[in-house]
Amino acid sequence: MSVVARLDEARAARRQKTLIAFNAATLRLGGKTIIENLDLQVRPGEFLCIVGASGCGKTTALRLAAGLYRPTSGAVTFDGEPITEPRREVAIVFQDYGKALLPWRTAAGNISLALEASRVPVRERGARIEALLRKVGLPGHADKYPTEMSGGMQQRLQIARCLAQEPSTLLMDEPFGALDAMTRQGLQDEVLSLTQASQTTVVFVTHDLDEAIYLGDRVIGLLPHPGRIGIELDVDLPRPRDQLATREHPEFLRLRRQLFDFIKATEH
Amino acid sequence: MSLDRTKPLLLPLALMLALELWARLTQLQSDSLAPPSAIFAALAAALADLSIPIATRDTLFATFAGLAIGSAIGLALGIALGVSRPLDRLMEVTVEAIRPIPSIALLPIALIALGFGYRMEIVIVAFACVWPMLIMTRSAVRSIEPRLMEVSRALRLSAPQRIAKVVIPAALPRIFVAFRLSAGIALIVAVTVEIAINPIGLGAGIMLAQQALRADLMLAYLVWIGAIGYALNMLLIVAQRRLFGRAALAGDHP
Amino acid sequence: MKRAAILWRVASVLVAAGFIAAWQLIANLKLVSPVFLPGPDRAWAALVRGFSSGDLAGKLIGTLEHMAYGWFAASIAGIGLGALIGSSKMMRAYVAPSLEFLRPLPVSAIIPVAIAMLGLTQGMALFVIAFGAIWPIMLATIHGFAAVEPRLYEVARSLQMSRAAIIAKIALPSALPDILAGMRLSLTVALILSVVCEILAGLDGLGHWVLLSARAFRSADLFAGVILLGATGYVTSIAMSLLEQRLLAWQAAAR
Repeated sequence: MSVVARLDEARAARRQKTLIAFNAATLRLGGKTIIENLDLQVRPGEFLCIVGASGCGKTTALRLAAGLYRPTSGAVTFDGEPITEPRREVAIVFQDYGKALLPWRTAAGNISLALEASRVPVRERGARIEALLRKVGLPGHADKYPTEMSGGMQQRLQIARCLAQEPSTLLMDEPFGALDAMTRQGLQDEVLSLTQASQTTVVFVTHDLDEAIYLGDRVIGLLPHPGRIGIELDVDLPRPRDQLATREHPEFLRLRRQLFDFIKATEH
Repeated sequence: MSLDRTKPLLLPLALMLALELWARLTQLQSDSLAPPSAIFAALAAALADLSIPIATRDTLFATFAGLAIGSAIGLALGIALGVSRPLDRLMEVTVEAIRPIPSIALLPIALIALGFGYRMEIVIVAFACVWPMLIMTRSAVRSIEPRLMEVSRALRLSAPQRIAKVVIPAALPRIFVAFRLSAGIALIVAVTVEIAINPIGLGAGIMLAQQALRADLMLAYLVWIGAIGYALNMLLIVAQRRLFGRAALAGDHP
Repeated sequence: MKRAAILWRVASVLVAAGFIAAWQLIANLKLVSPVFLPGPDRAWAALVRGFSSGDLAGKLIGTLEHMAYGWFAASIAGIGLGALIGSSKMMRAYVAPSLEFLRPLPVSAIIPVAIAMLGLTQGMALFVIAFGAIWPIMLATIHGFAAVEPRLYEVARSLQMSRAAIIAKIALPSALPDILAGMRLSLTVALILSVVCEILAGLDGLGHWVLLSARAFRSADLFAGVILLGATGYVTSIAMSLLEQRLLAWQAAAR
């Protein structure tokens, strides 16, 4: 049995279970209802993409899952426990990498922050940092400051810092939204290979429909004002995905059409 | 009044109340502290007998005269150094050598040259005001959108026209910030000169009150000087907002 | 490029030398009474004489001591209090406005109060210098803490960092440019207040020296003292720049 087939099987077996669950979650901020009665299940090991028009609360949903917000009513749970605080096994990759990195620390220093927070002993840090930098394709950039790096490199660095937490779940908030097309495609494939190998659960928010279908096992489209689920699609495209073959796959085109029509209907 | 507006007032009110109570309970007899009620009584009396108004007039006269002279010099030098890079480079060592001299160090020189009174105070205030004005005007002029300078050259404006029609208007918001900071410095220096040596104005008034062991009057002067400083600052901030909008305040913090 | 910079520097020094020559000329021609304006030659001679007799060095050290003690005390207290106030929303709401209200207060006005409390003593000088120098540092620290990129606090939260770790690893480094700018301002304030306190209380230092020289109309000694005060301001500001360059190397990387 090939590795891929075995991974598929493992994924199928766990598909019934739920890792993160939104149960009638509602969030009001400053008198505005951002999210209302959201019911959403994230299964362990899956790659879930959330799309929607701007203002549909997709980022907010992610922040609820990260424990950065608490629901006004309803509940958001991780492994059955209510999420009240951020937890170490859940890492979040912010879209604005330029703001989320410490400008006064080098690349190595930024990764070290996560290791320091998890109380990794000093002598183990160097090797771990080096391995992480290699993993995200930044070997030899340990001593660079974020401001000396391109946008793509900064986002890789932020991903490396999140991986340093050794998370079981990765929450990604439009991580490639600010990058150019070529860089974005490269990073998409890298995130796929990094997370598939370690069977990390990923919740990936994006406004790019192609990206959502290309990456996801499942795509959820949110309706705006207030945010709730409008469409849910299972993506049965073969893995590993390929930038050319996958995007030309009839199923890809069919899903793309379906999702496109949905988004168009939500915009007025 | 909403809670958000009262929050800032709670701490000073609580402190004053505490001081008042403490002073009354302990029958405070002190050369350095007085209950707020006594301070405000002394302030009212000194306002009524015109001693504080006269001292305020003296201090503000020296402040504004020094500010006017110093900021005019600073503005002229700042524009000259900002417009002409060669001139700036030639003057660099001279400026860097004179600027760090603390203004108050000139006090004895001004004293033997000019004697006590307004003149020496004005000279020292003016010296202190030159530098922030010079430095900030220079950088304001230098950061004018280069396109504007190109336009003025394409229009073949003469140098004075260029300065009057492009440089000063473009740099004005930041120059006003410099002026506001200079005004604060001017008041501080004026009061400091009066406290140190010059027998006029609010600084001399507060020193006299201290020497007369009138804690209430001394603290009344302190409150009054604080109020003058605050009012001057507020006045200039309001003027700045009126003239240039909120955007001009953006570059305010270091 | 580099050679051009050196040439400009040399030209700039020559211009400064020209000003000194003009000063010498004015003094030599007695355009201004020598009682007020000694030539640079006499000022320099007074400086050398003052140092060789040891008087001036002692005064210089006196002033430096006043300045340094007051400034260090202000830095520690200012950063500490600023961090305390700046890192708490409640403190910012209740305390910060009062501090902003006090900001434009001419700090020298506190001198009479300090004299009333502590007399004409070293302790009074130290209190006044520290009190004056604490404001720029404390307000800059509060501002720096309030201006930390909110995203970084979220990063810290998702890493579950403790409050102490957040202050040490996120807020302080982020506020450091502001804090150092405040410390630089305070350095000037500390020098000025040192001189004023020395003048008022007759404490050993350059302030006292220039005042005595002025009273005795020893203008050369007076200028020597003023030159030394200028040099003190210059050297401390250079030292501060070096410190900033070292601590803020990451900002240079951005340019």
